[in-house]
Amino acid sequence: MWLNVWAQIADLTIIAVLLRCMTPILLAAIGGLISDITGVTNIGLEGLMLVSAFTSIAVSAASGNWMVGVVSGVLICVGMSYAMAFFHIKLKVDIVITGFAMNIFGSGATIFLMSKLFQATGSYNPSNLDKIPVVNIPFIENIPYVNKLFSGHSLMVWIAFLAVLFCFIMLYRTPYGVHLRAIGEAPDSAKSLGIPVGRLQYSAMAWSGVFVGLAGSFMSMGMTSMFVKDMTAGTGFLALAVVLLGNRNPIGVLIGSIIFGLAKTFETIFQTIPNSPVPSQFVQMMPYVVTVLALVVFAIRKQNRQKKGLVAPAAAKS
Amino acid sequence: MNHKRFLYLDVIGIAASIVLAVVVGFIIIMMVSDEPLQAISSFLLGPFSTPFNLSTVFNKAVPLIFTGLALAVVFQSNVFSMGAEGQLYVGGFTGALAAAYIPGLPVWIHLPVILLCALAGGAMFGAIPGFLKSKWNANEIVTTLMLNYVGIISTSYLVNNWFKDPGSGGFARMQYFEKNLLLRKISDSFPVHYGFFIALLSVVVISVMLYKTRLGYELRLVGKNEAFARYGGIKTKRLIIYSVMISGALAGLGGIVEILGVHGTYKDNFSANLGFDGIIIALLARNNPVAVVIAALFYAYLQVGGQIMQAESDVSRELAVIIQVLLVLFVSAQAVFNYFKQRAVLKHSQSHATKGGKKDHVA
Amino acid sequence: MTVLLEMRNIHKTYPNGTIANRGVHLEVHEGEIHALVGENGAGKSTLMKILFGLEAPTSGEVYYKGSPVHFQGPRDAIKHGLGMVHQHFMLASSLTVSENIVLGDEPRKGPFGLFRDRGKEIQDIQSLVDRFGLKLDPNAVVEYISVGQKQRVEIMKVLYRGAKLIILDEPTAVLTPQETDELFDSLKTLVAQKYTIIFITHKLREVMEISNRITVLKAGQTIHTMLTKDTNKEEISRLMVGRDVLLRVEKKEQVLKETVLELRDVHANDAKGFPMLKDVSLAIRGGEIFGIAGVEGNGQRELVEVITGLIGATGGQVLYFNENILGKSIGQIRNMKIAHIPEDRQTTGACLTSTIEENLILDVYDHPEFRFGPFLRKKKLKEFAKVMMTTFDVRAASEETLAGSLSGGNLQKVVIAREIAKNPKLIIASQPTRGVDIGAIESIHREIVKRRDQGAAVLLVSAELSEIMSLSDRIGVLYNGELVAILNNTDDLTEQEIGYYMLGIKKAEKEVVPRES
Repeated sequence: MWLNVWAQIADLTIIAVLLRCMTPILLAAIGGLISDITGVTNIGLEGLMLVSAFTSIAVSAASGNWMVGVVSGVLICVGMSYAMAFFHIKLKVDIVITGFAMNIFGSGATIFLMSKLFQATGSYNPSNLDKIPVVNIPFIENIPYVNKLFSGHSLMVWIAFLAVLFCFIMLYRTPYGVHLRAIGEAPDSAKSLGIPVGRLQYSAMAWSGVFVGLAGSFMSMGMTSMFVKDMTAGTGFLALAVVLLGNRNPIGVLIGSIIFGLAKTFETIFQTIPNSPVPSQFVQMMPYVVTVLALVVFAIRKQNRQKKGLVAPAAAKS
Repeated sequence: MNHKRFLYLDVIGIAASIVLAVVVGFIIIMMVSDEPLQAISSFLLGPFSTPFNLSTVFNKAVPLIFTGLALAVVFQSNVFSMGAEGQLYVGGFTGALAAAYIPGLPVWIHLPVILLCALAGGAMFGAIPGFLKSKWNANEIVTTLMLNYVGIISTSYLVNNWFKDPGSGGFARMQYFEKNLLLRKISDSFPVHYGFFIALLSVVVISVMLYKTRLGYELRLVGKNEAFARYGGIKTKRLIIYSVMISGALAGLGGIVEILGVHGTYKDNFSANLGFDGIIIALLARNNPVAVVIAALFYAYLQVGGQIMQAESDVSRELAVIIQVLLVLFVSAQAVFNYFKQRAVLKHSQSHATKGGKKDHVA
Repeated sequence: MTVLLEMRNIHKTYPNGTIANRGVHLEVHEGEIHALVGENGAGKSTLMKILFGLEAPTSGEVYYKGSPVHFQGPRDAIKHGLGMVHQHFMLASSLTVSENIVLGDEPRKGPFGLFRDRGKEIQDIQSLVDRFGLKLDPNAVVEYISVGQKQRVEIMKVLYRGAKLIILDEPTAVLTPQETDELFDSLKTLVAQKYTIIFITHKLREVMEISNRITVLKAGQTIHTMLTKDTNKEEISRLMVGRDVLLRVEKKEQVLKETVLELRDVHANDAKGFPMLKDVSLAIRGGEIFGIAGVEGNGQRELVEVITGLIGATGGQVLYFNENILGKSIGQIRNMKIAHIPEDRQTTGACLTSTIEENLILDVYDHPEFRFGPFLRKKKLKEFAKVMMTTFDVRAASEETLAGSLSGGNLQKVVIAREIAKNPKLIIASQPTRGVDIGAIESIHREIVKRRDQGAAVLLVSAELSEIMSLSDRIGVLYNGELVAILNNTDDLTEQEIGYYMLGIKKAEKEVVPRES
């Protein structure tokens, strides 16, 4: 069985699996990052993804057009995020309550609608689904090995990478992004300079909805081609972990997503191997254990760096 | 300005929020249901319609009291643990092992041993994120969320592979415990199990612990201002571990009480989000142990109402979940309360100003 | 002289009935430094809030450049050329200096001005730097720059927005003497370029040094406005408090007792691992106040924290009645009759979200007389808190009042009450009167001297040289982590002399044993 695993690593199948596994985490984490940076920690990622996953597959199946599906999934997500922002910012509901309410709502509403619209209880499996297309790059798709790296991936994989770039440029190269970063840290200061804190938090939540929406639609129309109840199974929480682990920075988030993507990849690979001697639960646990370990390593390193005085040299007295 | 004077405003605010949420819920029900009145009355009145239904509310509230309490304690020490779900599974599991595999003890010894094992299991599992936080300052939100999965999946592995009752088929569980170990019901007509009293007792113990003991003073001080607590000679790192362990123990106790009171044995995936619901309950109760009871009963009432509505009308339980979400959101909307309060305070001070601000026993 | 700003007959009553201003007049001339002085609670901050449109006055008018104005908020005030530098900095610490300065008014480029024009940003800031001599690196991250630099960022923020009238709220409270001098130089440069400055403070020395005119507020009223050159410190302080303030503290003849605290070759690092204390040796005897002078950040904090156990030492010994207390826990040290008045009462010295009672019982709650096994004797603790509040004149509705609602002076009294109540043999007092009004300063000084007269040893750390000089029996000067001098506080010791040591210009032979008496 180790041979089997090795074979998948050697022929780079693992890359394809990795890209597929990390995409929803990465997109959701980018969404989480943008709102987190303004001081609104979006714990409702899980629920938002479910709503989008369901909406996009339902609309796509009905309209026969994947793009309409994805766009409506994203729009719904933006709307829900806006509602969360309303409850948190306007009505002053604790953000954790708002987030968990969203999670409960996402799970309940999708199950309710699935039974109401499709009379389905566990999963919805449309036969004529227009999935998010796969991008095959001419010439490259015929070169062995290289093709596995660059060709044959879902369009959403590429969008996810673009999202990192987009997020980076937005946060660091536009005034708008600087405002977003400022209001999370020093809201009073921003307010005194005429920056509309509340409105920016709304917009950050809307961005959050966009990326989480993309993540959700990829889950039902790229990774798989069905909606299963509670199919996110902790992906949203993993993404939240990635945000904190990635130090609230798009590059950090990308690296974090690769690490968890890898853990998920091994989970997937092991699950496909027949008669695996490793119990499936152990494999399932891997991403979560990896998160905890990564966090600990990260925290120890930070502590050591501080002890050695490598952080903040400018604060040193000569 | 004494804030206790304006307590009644909180009550008004809560009432207003509930009415608002119910109205929104009704509008939704009107839209999807052919028999909206039936659905609404089942949802609102169903839980009170029979002693049996009412007892279901109490039974549902029991584990929520435990997890709500568990989180109120850690939140008071400013540790943002989300780990009650995992701790509940682990504590429930260790307790269940003691119940199923320690033979030949008289009940009055066996039962306390079971409860202690559950407490210990939850506490030990809770100690992990506590240790990681106090030793390396590892973010507890992430560690507890992730350890939840570790706890759930590993207990699932154990019950599926090592402790499975051969007769249980696809839905793994342990062998059924001896009948005399199970928590009895108050009466057949009002079948609330005695776990409710264990829960109330826990509330009393935790209240006393928090507000009347050294440990409680230290825990709350660490939560309010860690630098001050440290300066005062309190061993803050150790206290953080204690607080997460107490929380874990309570969650574990909640797990075993649920098992002994409702399920009769350890079943795979028995919790279904009790730990996460506990977070909402603790926050609704503003981390106050006594308010946790009220919040848990309220939450359970909504759940039971939803079930009854599903059974008695064409509206499914999931719609009740949506109403439940709205209720939680509205009830925790600080803005509503602040609005009432501000108006009252303003009036109060205005009436003072006109009277020359002499006496203040008016309101 | 043209009048730039005039506030006439300002009254302000808050909805809860508090009267903050009852007839304030303020007239500020263009191109002057106008000092606004008054005790805490005299109505200075309310007045400024009214000016910036954060509060509406109950009655009264504001004239700016001759015409009546009602600013709608800080943003509006900024547009008209007013800028405020707050005592507590309002900066986003993970952003760079330049990002903070231009925040909300960034130079833009690209389609629809979508992107930051970072070249112009740096250029604009550089030209301000050149013009006013405020040294700053625009690309430094704010988290890592010094307090003085952060203040410069705040000043740059208002200058960048074109402010002509700049209000500084207690600007020197957080600065070292050197940084204060630099600040004063910049203020002079600004005034020379026709800028106008309102300087809020209660440090009289600074008022005399920097201002052209002074307005004194007391209990919400303008008491007097005068030219600085026509007045003196004593007159101002009399106007502020309505009575003469003891600027020199009465002390009894010194009676020295046995050595209480002795440090031998102590080394320590700060939280980031930099050596901050080098080879510090000193000895303090009962009945003596040992003042530590020095520019802030030269190891004072570490000195206090090593002795009180908050941080460890990397070498040396700390002897308390000849017992080495290094390595003992904070709690053990606190229980050895060592009092610690920390420099930051907002975060370390008190818990603002707890009640006064919970703050006062910090040392006694686990004493046997106040508990019964693990349980607290709530009644006794409450009684204790009540007694402490009357003894130390803490003014609050009850012991259940939240500490956060107390004024600076009252809160410090809570801290001092708690620390002094255990009858300490050693008192470590760090900036005991920072941000406290003059009335409270006096009573705090009296309390410290009383303990010294009763035989306690006192280690007094203060950024106020005048405080050190008026209280101490001996003065040690910390420079760059070293104790460069230990001086007897005789009448012929001058501030200049200590200043030389503080700046590292002079270095004395160290005298470890206390002087012969």
